[in-house]
Amino acid sequence: MIKIKNITKEYILNKNNSVKALDDVSFNIKEGELIVIKGASGSGKSTLLSLISALGKPTSGEIIVDAKKISKLPDNFASIYRRDNIGFIFQKYNLIPTMSVSENILLPLVPLNPHAKDMSQKLEMAMNMFHISHKRDVLVKSLSGGEQQRVAIARANVNNPKIILADEPTANLDEKLSLRFIEIIKELKILGKTIVIATHDPLFFGLDFVDTEIELSCGKLI
Amino acid sequence: MWKTDLMLLSPEVLTILILNMIFVFFTTIAFILSVKIVLKWDLNSTSSLQYSLENKSYLAATMIKYIFAVKVPLFLFFIFTLDKLSTILTGAMCGAGVVDATDYGNYLFVLKVINLYLFAYWIVLHNEDMKHENYPYTKMKFGVFIVAFVLLITELVLEGLMFGAIDLDELVDCCGTIYSSSGGSYISQVLSMNSSSLLSLFYGNFFFIILFYILKKKYLFSIANVVFIVISIISLIVFFGTYIYELPTHHCGFCFLQSEYYYVGYIIYILLFIGTFYGLVVGLINTSEKTRLQNYNISMIFNIIYVALLSAYPISYYIKNGVWL
Repeated sequence: MIKIKNITKEYILNKNNSVKALDDVSFNIKEGELIVIKGASGSGKSTLLSLISALGKPTSGEIIVDAKKISKLPDNFASIYRRDNIGFIFQKYNLIPTMSVSENILLPLVPLNPHAKDMSQKLEMAMNMFHISHKRDVLVKSLSGGEQQRVAIARANVNNPKIILADEPTANLDEKLSLRFIEIIKELKILGKTIVIATHDPLFFGLDFVDTEIELSCGKLI
Repeated sequence: MWKTDLMLLSPEVLTILILNMIFVFFTTIAFILSVKIVLKWDLNSTSSLQYSLENKSYLAATMIKYIFAVKVPLFLFFIFTLDKLSTILTGAMCGAGVVDATDYGNYLFVLKVINLYLFAYWIVLHNEDMKHENYPYTKMKFGVFIVAFVLLITELVLEGLMFGAIDLDELVDCCGTIYSSSGGSYISQVLSMNSSSLLSLFYGNFFFIILFYILKKKYLFSIANVVFIVISIISLIVFFGTYIYELPTHHCGFCFLQSEYYYVGYIIYILLFIGTFYGLVVGLINTSEKTRLQNYNISMIFNIIYVALLSAYPISYYIKNGVWL
């Protein structure tokens, strides 16, 4: 389902300096798989996720999702691909603190311009799934870390995407909340989502429902 | 020799010259990028060069799009500028006198009309390219831009030369002399055509446009529109213009752009441009069926309004006075 072929990503700092965040990385992810990408900070995990979500383009190589070369898509089509296929859980959630829980969750639906009834149904489903409906009108800045994370996950799922990408999802959580997050991921896997988690949290390593673990070091696959 | 007479550097001329400098700067950058894209573009490649070209194509296309989007309506501003300059040139009654005042004016004007269509065509081609995932027209549009760049620079040089060569102390011909059928110029030869033959050509051409619209023959429709541009302008000057001016000897394609005639010339030329431009686009760009139909309809609507407007002048004159001019 996701083919990563000879991906290299280089950031040019100036004329004489560049950083290779990814160096000739290749691997495949099957539909419905849960993959954990391990690696220290700076190993290229976040860069890889950004390329899979077509948030950026590689320097060379290609990424193919369901036979579509997403690394070659023009910007507007990349946005459509992201809108229709990707749910992204960011490390720092990237929620809008001055908006309520329901408003934050609804944001990915706005570009689709759906019918109000359809929007309302999706919102209710997402909030119920992640047990956050009782806080629907509360401003996000008033929520705890765990609650914010659930809002972030609900937002990532409101469009029912096929692929969930999570970048260091437990970086700001304690062990208890991290384990709760792992339970949520398990439920999403049961629903058939393809899930890619970039993390250096050892709680994710060796889990029985994780299909594959891969490790990046200095941009290379170990 | 460049004239520095302050009267010539009117606000309008200065605006044009400053904008031209900006256009040269950005289109030169776009030209360099376009050459690279045309020479090295390989959509199937996943090399760093191809990704770099894809990124650069956005930059170049954005620059070109905005410049051409300004250049198209700027043509009207150029016409307006010619009209204003005519008030300070001895002998000129309208923009025709300004165009004819130097060796460059006529060439510049013809080139501007060609570029008008070319720049608008590029914008439509670019918009069509952006509707598809696989960059179907990218290489073509940058190839077209390379040609457009050469013509644009030629136009800007000619424009500078024309404004620089205008001598305010020299008497210029007015439109009555320029468009006179008794003169020896090629314009005079064209304008000495018989009105009946010309009207047959004009309405005959329009009939074929309608026919090809109904039959949806896109290439013939486009060709008919190209011919219509030429025949329309000649008919406008030789025949229809005389009814706008209500004077059988007044042949001019510029005077009716003035306030005296309620600026009707701008409406006439805008209608002609839009009608014939979309007629051209039907045949020149492969679009979806829906878009093609839309372009057909826009072309027909504007051409019909154009013909109706022009025809209204002689008809209303006849109704008012009972005779033809």
